[in-house]
Parts: sequence; C-alpha cells; structure tokens
Amino acid sequence: MPAYNKITSAAAEELRACVSTGRFFFGGEADPNYTHDEMPIYGRFMPEAAVDVETTEEVSAIMKICSRYKIPVTCRGAGTGLVGGCVPLYGGLVLCTRRMNRILGYDMENLVVRLQPGVLLKDLAADALSRGLLYPPDPGEKTATVGGNISTNAGGMRAVKYGVTRDYVLAMTVVLADGRILELGKPVSKSSSGYSLLHLMIGSEGTLGIITEMALKLVPNPQCDVSCLVPFRDVESCIHFVPKVRLANLDPQSIEFMDADIVSSSAAFTGSPIFPERVANTAVGASVLVTFVGTEPDELDRRMIKLGEIAKEAGALDVLVVATPSNKKAAWSARSSFLTAIEADTRLIDEMDVVVPVDRIPAFLLYIRSLGEQTGIRIRNFGHAGDGNLHIYCCSNDLEEDEFKRRVKIIMDAAYRRCAELEGQVSGEHAIGHAKMAYLRESVGEDVFALMGGIKKVFDPDMLLNPGKVCDRERRTSC
Amino acid sequence: MPKSDYKNMWVSVEHDGTSAASVGLELCCELRRLCDRTGDRLYAVLIGPLPEAEIQKIADCGVDGILTVRGTGYDFPNIDAWTNAFTVLCRRYRPSAVFVGGTVFGRDFAPRFAIRLNTGCTSDAMQLDWDPETTDIQFIEPAVGGKIMAVITVPELRPQIGTVRPGTFRYAPTGKRPALERIDELIDFDPAAIRVRPLRFTPDENDPELDLSDADCIVCVGNGLKDSEHLERYRTLARLLGGKIGCTRPLYDRGILPYKLQIGQSGVMVKTKLYISFGVSGAVNHTAGVDADVFVAVDRNPDAQIFSYCDYGIVGDMDEVCDELIAQLRAKMAASV
Amino acid sequence: MLKILVCVKQIPDVDLVKMDPETGNLVRAGVPTLTNPLDLNALEAAVRTKERCGGRITLITMGPPAAEETLRECLAVGGDEAVLITGRPFGGADTLSTSYTIVKAAEALGKFDLIFCGKESLDGATGQMASQLAERFDAAQISCCLTIEDIAEGRIRAVRALETGRETVEATLPCLLTVEKDNFYGRLPSLGAYLAAKTAPITVFDETSLPGLDPARIGVPGSGTVVPKIYPPELPEPGQIIRTGSVKTDVGRLVSLLAEKDVI
Repeated sequence: MPAYNKITSAAAEELRACVSTGRFFFGGEADPNYTHDEMPIYGRFMPEAAVDVETTEEVSAIMKICSRYKIPVTCRGAGTGLVGGCVPLYGGLVLCTRRMNRILGYDMENLVVRLQPGVLLKDLAADALSRGLLYPPDPGEKTATVGGNISTNAGGMRAVKYGVTRDYVLAMTVVLADGRILELGKPVSKSSSGYSLLHLMIGSEGTLGIITEMALKLVPNPQCDVSCLVPFRDVESCIHFVPKVRLANLDPQSIEFMDADIVSSSAAFTGSPIFPERVANTAVGASVLVTFVGTEPDELDRRMIKLGEIAKEAGALDVLVVATPSNKKAAWSARSSFLTAIEADTRLIDEMDVVVPVDRIPAFLLYIRSLGEQTGIRIRNFGHAGDGNLHIYCCSNDLEEDEFKRRVKIIMDAAYRRCAELEGQVSGEHAIGHAKMAYLRESVGEDVFALMGGIKKVFDPDMLLNPGKVCDRERRTSC
Repeated sequence: MPKSDYKNMWVSVEHDGTSAASVGLELCCELRRLCDRTGDRLYAVLIGPLPEAEIQKIADCGVDGILTVRGTGYDFPNIDAWTNAFTVLCRRYRPSAVFVGGTVFGRDFAPRFAIRLNTGCTSDAMQLDWDPETTDIQFIEPAVGGKIMAVITVPELRPQIGTVRPGTFRYAPTGKRPALERIDELIDFDPAAIRVRPLRFTPDENDPELDLSDADCIVCVGNGLKDSEHLERYRTLARLLGGKIGCTRPLYDRGILPYKLQIGQSGVMVKTKLYISFGVSGAVNHTAGVDADVFVAVDRNPDAQIFSYCDYGIVGDMDEVCDELIAQLRAKMAASV
Repeated sequence: MLKILVCVKQIPDVDLVKMDPETGNLVRAGVPTLTNPLDLNALEAAVRTKERCGGRITLITMGPPAAEETLRECLAVGGDEAVLITGRPFGGADTLSTSYTIVKAAEALGKFDLIFCGKESLDGATGQMASQLAERFDAAQISCCLTIEDIAEGRIRAVRALETGRETVEATLPCLLTVEKDNFYGRLPSLGAYLAAKTAPITVFDETSLPGLDPARIGVPGSGTVVPKIYPPELPEPGQIIRTGSVKTDVGRLVSLLAEKDVI
C-alpha cells in the first residue's frame, strides 16, 4: 500500500522555485475552486498546494520533486469535468494547465495544429475556423481545455460524422510520474508501429502521465451547413427515426435527441424558445436535430428533401429548417444550454453518460423514467442519438442530500446494470473519474479491470498521478 | 415658405392633468440654453390644463411662454387628437422646432404629425447644437450600435421635430423669465374620431430588483458574459455591495436579463454612487445612461472604449476579477466584524 | 378575409460595420446581412393572426436587390406574397420618404386591414417608421403589443406594454401594430415552405413601375433629414487603469481605492 507524504515547507520551497512568482500557491492560497469540478455532489477535496505551470520543463521538474517526496499530483484543466476526475482525493499538489494556453502553430500542408493543453476548446475552434479549418470534436462544454478533452476522449455532437477526440490526436509530449519526458506518436495519419502508448494516454484521465503539448489533426471547414429539427409525438417514434436517417446514406454531421422536458427547461432558461413545444396543435414529446454539412446548398437541399420523406414515413409531426444565421445561433445556444438549464433550476444533481446501441435507446429511456418515478427523483435527459450516447440527469430540489444520494444510488445501480444488459458502455465521453469507478469495474469485469490496474503500475509505480481514479481501488493514507 | 419665416421653439410637455412628466422639464431646461443662442422664444405646449404650481415649475425652467390647448378629445392620451392638435398649432404658429419627450406615447404621435406637416423628424438625440450659418438645429446621436456619432439636420423643411428620451438632459432650472406669456388655444377634436380607446390598465408589479432608480451601487454586466450560467457571481457581488444588477442591451436581446434592467439610452438612465461594469464595451448608447460618482470598468480588451469613461479600470477576465472581488470583499467584511 | 401587410427590412450586421478612419464613411462592403430581428417578431404576430382569423399575408421591403433574401426567409415562415421595392433613386431615404414609398407600393396592391412592423431596425434605430406608415395608411396604431385578444367586425382588441403597466385597448381597422419581442418569438420554417420560398415569385417595383410615384418625394430628395457628418464618439480621458500583474493585487488595489472614496 503506497503511502503519501504531506507537502512540507521544504518541499513547498523546492516546488515554488520551479516556477516564476505568483504561480505557486501553498496551503490556503490555492483557488478554492480546485476542490471540485462541475459535480460537487461527489465531494470537495482540498489540495495542499497548487501550481500554474507554463512549460514541459516545469512539469518535469515538479514531477521529479513530487516523485522524490512521494507527493500525489492531480492534473487539472478548466475543471469542467463531470465525474470528479480532476479533484485531489488525497490532497497533495494540483497541477493546473490553464496558463499553458498557447496555440503553437499550424502546418497548413498537412492540416496539423500544435498546441498546449490549456487552450480552451472554443479558442482552438475559433482560431482554426479563422484559417478555414475545422477541429471536428465538438463536446457541449466549449470552455473545457483541449488537454482535458484528450484525457477523457471527449466526443460531442459531430461524432456521428467525424468520430471522437481520439481520432484527431496525432502526437503528444508527456511527462511521466518520475519526470521523464516522452514524445508519443508522429504528425502522420497512419501508424502500425507497436503498442500505441499514444492511444493509451488518450482517455487515461491524467493517471498515466501529464500531457504538455499535442499535435492534432484538422479538416477543411465545410462551406455550408443546415439543420433540420424533426419533432415527434413521443420518445419511441422519435428514436426509431434515428437508424432510418443513418441508413438513408444522408451523412449527417450530428443527430441530437431532446425530449419535451429538456426543451421547456432550456426555453425558460435562455428565453429563446427556438425548439417548439407544440407543432400543429400537438404536443411534441421528443425531437431530433439533424445537421448536414457540405459544399453546395443545392446538395444540402437534396439531403433535406430525402430526410423529409423518411420523417413523414416515421410519423414526424413536421420537419423544420434551421438555416438563417440567427436561427442557427439560437438553436446552437439552446442546445448548448441544456446542462446549464438543468443546473439552473436544480439544487442537487447527479448524472450518467452511458452509451447504448442506437436501437435500444427507447428501452433504456423508458426504464430510466420508471426508475425515476419509483424513487421520486426528477429525470432529465438529452443526448447524441446518432451514436447512442445519452446524458441522463437525476435532479431534486427538496430532498436532503443524503436521502438524494441514497435514492440516486438505487437508480444508478439499476441503470448501469440495464445498460450492461443492453450491451452498452458506462461512459461515452465524460469518463470515469472516481465517481463511476465501481460501475466501470462491474461493466468490464475483474480481468479487464485488473489489466488496467497493471498498466497503471507500469507507468506510475508509486501511484502518484491522480490517485483514486479510473481503476485505482487501493485505499491509502497520507502520513 | 422660407425657413426664416418659422420662429421659436416648442417643447411638448406631457402630463396627466396633475403633474408634468420629467422629460418635458428636462427638455425645457436644455432648450433654454439653445434658445439663448438662437434668439428664439421658448414655449411649453400643454394639451389640457395643469394646476398653477406645475405651470410655475415649467416657468422655472426658463420658458418664455406657455401654450395650453383646451377642447374636446383630450380626456385620455390618444394619437389622433394629439396629432391633430400639433398639426393645427404648427400651421397656425409656424414654430421652427418642436421637441417631444421620447415616451411610448411621444414616440407614437410625434412622427405622425411630422408626416402631416411633411417635415423631418429625428429621435433619440443626445446633444443639441445649432449652426448659425444654416440656422439648423444639429441633432447629435449615436448610430450603428453606438460606434459612431451622427449629426442630423432638417435642412429645408420646418418645423424641425425631435423626440428625446427621458433622462437624456438634466433637469437644472435656471429660473423664471421676466414675463411669462400665456396663450390659450381651443382645438376641438371629435371624440368619435379617436381610433384607439383604452379599456383597462394594469400597473406592473413593483419588483424592487427591477427598479434601478434608487440603487446606490450597480453591477452592470455586458455582452462579455459567456452565458446565463456565469451570471450568478455578479448577483452575489451586487448583494455584497448592497446594490443591484443591471445590463447592456445585448444581454436583454440575448434574453438573459429583463428590459427593465437594461441601462442606457433605449433602456433606463441611472444615477448611482458606485457603478462597476463587467464585459461592457462602452458604446455611447450605454454610457450615456450612466451617471455615477465612481465608475469602475472591468474588461478583457485593454482598448475597450469603456475605459475612457471609468475612474478605475482593470484589464482582465471578467469572471475572474468578479470572483476575486467577492473574495476580498468578504474577507474585508469578516475582518471588520 | 383579413388582408395583412408585414413590413420587413434587411440590415447589415451592425456589430461588423466599421467606420473608415480615413474617409469617415461607414464600411458596409462585405458585411453580412440579416433580417431585422424585430421584424421577425412582427411576422410571427401576423402568422398567428392569420392562423386564428384567416387571411393573406403580404410582405414588403425596400432595399437593394439582395433584400430578396429577406423576403424569401419570411415567405418560408408564413408570407403568401412578397414585394420588393428596389432602385437607385430610392437610396439614401429617411423615414419621411421611405414611408411614402412603401405606402405607394402597398396602395398598388390594395387595401390592408392590419399592418405589422418591427419596433425599430437595429441599424437605423429611429423607431419612427411604424408611426409614419400608420399615418400615411390613415390607420389606427397600437405599439408595443403584448397580446392580440380579438379581431372581429372591423375592430381589434389588444394588450400593450406602457412604461408602468399593461393597457388593454380597442382600435378600429385598419390598424398598424408593433409587437414586443418576448411574446412573439419567431418560429422555424417548415421544410416544404422553406423549399417553396426559394423559387416563389416576387413582385418587384422600381421607380418606373410604381404607379403614381412622385420622384421628388422618394430617396434623398424626398427626405426631411440629412446626415451632414458622422464622427467617432469623443472619448473622455481614460481613467486610471490598475495594472499590477496579478488579478489578486489588481482587485486589492481597487478595493482600497473604493474604500478611500467611501463607496464600499
């Protein structure tokens, strides 16, 4: 059982010397936000010290010191995670990358961008766009860092057409727990060259090493885009429509699902009811938002016409077009506001981010709804219908926190079991952190879970990096 | 008729039969200064009578005369009778300019009698100037979202008509003129010809959070705000300072805060001790609505125009600065307890 | 059947319009255009009225040929026919001459019972057009409308927003209305209507085809106002910028300055 040491003032002075003035915080100086991410329900944990790093060399120097003193290190970006992934469960040092926010350069011939991990997703997206390029991964949280996206293998809306973060990482610089600096991957699109440590790093949530620089693949930005909102009477008919869209060879960029509850929460929250709650005097039970991108408006029209035909057969109430810049902006901001709209009118919140095969979405949602009714917990959900990734939120305003947690555990235990029966995954894009570890273990089984633990030991024998996360079940104490 | 045949300036003073609307008094005070330069006489025009004490209040603003219209059709404010009255009066007296308070009602009827008189009408001037060469009034106002100032004139037609928003000019009476001319006009308008009739009026519920008029401190949030999620910290700061939260027009347009909290020319004009802006660019339309003893600006862009209006400025991330300010104010309070 | 007119305008994205520092002119070239957002609220009010009472919606705009895009956008949402007034002589018009021109064109199409307008355009922002159109149509006028309660027998009953409350009013037709945006959020177009609008015929008037037009009353000659000068706002001297290098000390400095001034 590894034991950690507290950060002594001697260790603190050594750490302070690694960075310039004003970037090392000891004791009470650390930002109180470092105790949690966006899900404070999973607990708050105070670090003993925090440091804002700026270079690979600084990270390396800091890791050498922490490795010598056996100080646990938790890497953190913008703190927008949802599974307690960046919180310092065992105290120690929080290493924050928010100041490593420089885009280092573009290779316009090979469509590659080099950047530091603390660049925010929205800043990368805007900067790439100004050069006519698109960084396809598009998770809803635009103020997350790109480093955080890589650490969780974030997905997002465009995954239907473009895939996920993993598909766009070509190379990275990594600092290991003992301070060694590795270059993984090459800025090329193919590799058949031994075990891919690069891909092992992606989605490892800061438990195997600290990413300090990366090279990402970009694509030319499609010249035009249009979205169709397709409303249905109920969730079932809405979801049954999704595989039909995929089979029709329409190449949608995204297929987003939203039920009536989330639409009305978002309308109340943003003040712009862009997604209708009634169509032709019928209440809308659920809608999908299908987005097409291309080079010619006429070609997009053809795809929309085809979509219209399928929608009619599937019993859609209508097909509505989101084509003007202001409607696109309103639709986009309404869709992006779903989580914050839930947070705004909810005191206690917990969430799951499962993926199930697309045809099993209705079964899973109906099951969740019944669990909510049985336990008296308000359920809100939305998600990426095109790939079966669902975001499900358990909410309450009147329960005591302990009682809320008790009831949510009943829902979560049952829901993850059902998810496994439906051949689904524990997390599509939010990752495991410490909140979902037990469910991961149950889902993958003991053999796989133990192999994960073995890999962790190879990279980080002293278990210094982000302890207590993903597959690390050891209880330990600080001395 | 040459424009030199049109003389004197008028202010339509809106009233409810008991007191004059403040915008009418503000306009009289401002027009007094203009008339001192042009040599025009200044008249307040009242539709329907006002008590003598209110008349004296208008006289204190330096008007040379008061023109009161009596007759049928004025029992309640209505566009038809008012448009008719001003059309008849302007044809009869040929004023060089008519100013109307930019209330909902004023903005409804002033452009209409401008059409009937076939003359030019401007709205929302922030400054008034006068060109002695052309004898034209210069209506100066922000345009294109406050990026530029535009000078607008009515070069040929008369009268020159302008609506001006409440709070644009200061109510600063300069005192009575030696003699106050009183004119009474009888203009009957057939009540049956009034096309819009009020049936019911329901006053808005008085929500103190939505009333910025008495706030000692205002925390104003601008378009730099990422989304509604980030708003709460500014409410917290406002509460800590014993103040209220306000916003700029884009935030109202984005549906984030209600219209009554929109500060600026097309919203509310505020007078306060401490004003702190976060993520406000500083368009003239907004800053024209702020009268603060101490003006603090926080914005990411060091070249933002807002820094020209502030007493103290901090260049930085608005959320970060707000959080830090909250933390330090709390610490300060804890220390002083 | 109600005959409904909706007046719309294509405007430049004012956030992107810049002033040329050399010439002092506004640079609009290459600036994206959009339909004035408040006009879409007016259109929504018209479409709801048509859904409830029946009727035919005519869209009208004056502008460059590209303003056709705005008409097609509105046709997709609910217009039955669309009219574009375009031509060089109409350029540079203020509200006096624009209202004259629009009413001339509308008269060529017949009489309207209801006219809907946005409260103002985000570019010109005079807020005068609605009143001046109402005057020229010789119509009653209800501005800042919150809800339309009833339309029957040549009368309309509606609730409107005033400075201190809500007023229910009744007016005779023809009547012009401007609407509050929050109550008339615009809908998305249906796919069928969206596609149909792309090729729908649009009536185009120019200075030669508009019947009874007095050339002295359009464009610049017909305008009452002129803009002899624009200039950047005169800025006061910048205040004291606190710049210590860290947020913490910046704020600390500010707090002590505010305490000195006795405002906290």
